[in-house]
Amino acid sequence: MSRARKPLVLEELGAWLLGLLWVIPLLFAVWAAVHPPEFAARFDPTAPLTLDNFAMAWERAPFPRYFLNTFLLVTLILAGQFIVCTLAAYAFARVRFPGADIVFALVLIQLMITPDVLIVENYRSMAKLGLLDTITGMGLPYVASAFGVFLLRQAFKQVPRELDDAAQIEGASTLGILWRVYVPVARPIYVAYGLVSVSFHWNNFLWPLIVTNSVEKRPLTVGLALFGAAETGVDWSTICAATLISVAPLLIAFLLFQRQFVQSFIRVGIK
Amino acid sequence: MIGTRSRHWVEGWLLVLPALVLLVAFTHWPVIASLIDSLNSTPRRGAAPNFVGLENYQRLVADPVFAKVMWNNAVFAFGTIPTSVVLALLMAVWVNSAIRGRAALRLAYFTPTILPMIAAANIWLFFYTPDYGLLDQITGLFGFGRTNWLGNPDTVLWCIVVMTVWKEAGFFMIFYLAALQAIPPDLTEAASLDGTSRWYFFRRVTLPLIMPTTLFVLVNAVINSFKLVDHIVVMTKGGPDNASSLILYYIYETAFSFWDTAYASALTMVLLVVLALLALVQFGVLERRIHYR
Amino acid sequence: MSSISVTGLTKRWGSVTALHGIDFEARAGELVILLGPSGCGKSTTLRIIAGLEEATSGRIRFGDRDVTALPAAQRGIAMVFQSYALYPHLSVRENIVFGLKVRRLPAAQRESRLERAAEILGIGKLLDRRPAELSGGQKQRVALGRAIVAQTPICLMDEPLSNLDAQLRQDMRTEIRALQRRLGMTMLYVTHDQTEAMTMADQVILMRDGRIEQKGRPADLYMRPATGFVARFVGTPPMNLLALEGAALTALESAVPVLGLPPLPRGGHLGVRPESLRLADAGLPALVATVEYLGADSIVLCEVGGQRVAVRVDGATDLAPGNAVRLAWRTEDTHLFGPDGTRLAPERVEVAA
Repeated sequence: MSRARKPLVLEELGAWLLGLLWVIPLLFAVWAAVHPPEFAARFDPTAPLTLDNFAMAWERAPFPRYFLNTFLLVTLILAGQFIVCTLAAYAFARVRFPGADIVFALVLIQLMITPDVLIVENYRSMAKLGLLDTITGMGLPYVASAFGVFLLRQAFKQVPRELDDAAQIEGASTLGILWRVYVPVARPIYVAYGLVSVSFHWNNFLWPLIVTNSVEKRPLTVGLALFGAAETGVDWSTICAATLISVAPLLIAFLLFQRQFVQSFIRVGIK
Repeated sequence: MIGTRSRHWVEGWLLVLPALVLLVAFTHWPVIASLIDSLNSTPRRGAAPNFVGLENYQRLVADPVFAKVMWNNAVFAFGTIPTSVVLALLMAVWVNSAIRGRAALRLAYFTPTILPMIAAANIWLFFYTPDYGLLDQITGLFGFGRTNWLGNPDTVLWCIVVMTVWKEAGFFMIFYLAALQAIPPDLTEAASLDGTSRWYFFRRVTLPLIMPTTLFVLVNAVINSFKLVDHIVVMTKGGPDNASSLILYYIYETAFSFWDTAYASALTMVLLVVLALLALVQFGVLERRIHYR
Repeated sequence: MSSISVTGLTKRWGSVTALHGIDFEARAGELVILLGPSGCGKSTTLRIIAGLEEATSGRIRFGDRDVTALPAAQRGIAMVFQSYALYPHLSVRENIVFGLKVRRLPAAQRESRLERAAEILGIGKLLDRRPAELSGGQKQRVALGRAIVAQTPICLMDEPLSNLDAQLRQDMRTEIRALQRRLGMTMLYVTHDQTEAMTMADQVILMRDGRIEQKGRPADLYMRPATGFVARFVGTPPMNLLALEGAALTALESAVPVLGLPPLPRGGHLGVRPESLRLADAGLPALVATVEYLGADSIVLCEVGGQRVAVRVDGATDLAPGNAVRLAWRTEDTHLFGPDGTRLAPERVEVAA
């Protein structure tokens, strides 16, 4: 990092141009959201600023409800993933049991075939379980994450075995050792995985769209998609305001913890 | 040390049980159920489904929409992947250099990644609006007339491609950035002592060293191109005339608009086979290069 | 205080047998060292005694309690690991009282035990640090602290000094031995370093290939090694073992009358320690090959009939490679081993104890 090379002027221009291109859509959305509708696509610097669009968007859809639903969904999934994946990862990393290899292979299948593509059958299962239009139904298929199991297994394998031995001798039970030794030592991985999981499920759309059919259960993404649907006749300024409202929490979190986000994606991406 | 622990094997099974139950319920069983359903007819009005053999698959072979969405998927993949990968690499190289405003650039490149696809789609929808949208306003400056970018079968898929590149390049950038930063600085120093040109160094040292990242990114990009259709739902609903429909969207439409679950299951099977083939490629090619365990 | 008794301990992994029936006893308050080269089964033995591995067969008793089937947690032992096994996310204080917390000891008791251990080990100032901020020697002390606060009658140590530098190792040897005596622990200590065994142990158990080669006081192993392997493993530089064959045998036989040697077992070995050899006017003819000057003494490497013999002489020597010398030693310093490597009876003159 310290000896980073100096780019050519031409490159610098290119980089900036590309950067500009990349933020234009966002700036565009912000412009439309903070100006009256007649200025949505007219870039007049003298256009008056307004927050009416946000007020309008907030009125037209139950955003607090959507936020709450998304928050519940993301929390449910994350808590479930942490518990279920931690237990399984520990077994794969440190317990020898017959069939471990086969079970692990069964887990790995889900790395490729994620619940995202099994919408037809999972919808049917949820209907049978009576979980349609529930937060549980939206979250359950994602709780046993092969990715989480794989990641935590890697992390646990790096915990020195002697720590486990020492804790056993000092009287800790299997779950006690997992909780007091492995989980704290693997904390950075939990943080990274947590950030990635929250980002993914905060933004997830298709499955929640399929499972929910009432306003009371819809998460933000589904609410936003219905909000912006052409037939509703809402103007662009309001849609942009609604979009900004929906992305605000995650975007603000990202801006504040940029480094952690980027590090997490890298850590989780490159196993 | 070969050490086996004295912990009992039953503990192992108990620990994996919750994960296994959920995986079987929501991954393995759906795969098997898709296969079974695809060999039966869609149950209608309380009538039980009956075994129809490969009928659904024969229908699939003859279905022009299926051919179209497969083709679209290929175009979509080939349109988005090389562009986003090259752009991602370029971004990473720039952001890794002593460029002015490096932090701001990194932020600009990465931010689209953090947005929900739905939000991005909303914004770009506005972009592509005829007359009113930014794109038409810009082309208008050059004397072009009104274009219905998303309403035209010739342009719609490319509009989706451009948006996807915008959304994904920054995501891949961070992996390249990590790979670039992992290149030992003494290699660069040695090369600068030798008087190696930058382009030569990039081609002969950097590129081979970040090859595993490229493979990782490629596989991920291909998988995403089959799994992500959120934007289609918001922007085009697959239209016009299925010009922007992708396989997963077609499955969604078949199952939840036409309620033809048997046919949707057959389509799902095709998608699963594609994903399985990709998995084989990944484990065959990648496993040898990237150290996993 | 508690004794440890191990009988008929075997361990098999599939077709590999790691331990072939080990028997030994550590009396209460003794420091017993399991010594041997890597892969001899000493660590496996220790881990089985700890309850971290299951024995294939055999029994383990602590005092009159049979602990063979008990899990590690219920055996009432403390253990110090080679890597120290300090929990990286916990402070020194939390590391030391970890086990006490798990066993729900009242806070006041935890605190008093911690204080005492910190005082004994002189680590009072380190209590709030993380393991990553400690030196190797400090980590070692914290690991000992954990064993002290457990207040168990038995303490197991798995190569506890092998990650320390030479000077520190020497200091810690003395310290651990003093600690063991002061607290009256029965200590079972695994090492591959014969110096540790010789300096610290009440009893040494020398293992090889999953069997006990010899057990006894350090002096027993040194003075009356049961096999050629023991003879070479204990003592530095190791005992010279001359194969009784060829030119060396001829040379030795010619020296039998001069040195008053017992009859030589053909095909076996004759052993003499370098420190028992001296340069003399009459004796075994040898050629100087190299000389290593060590300060207080020198090691003269000679050749006898094509075999190497090390001779320790005081201070410096003016011998040079190629010089012809004669080697002599006292009759009672002769060790004879048969073709199977075992010490030959009848025993000769006893060394005054």
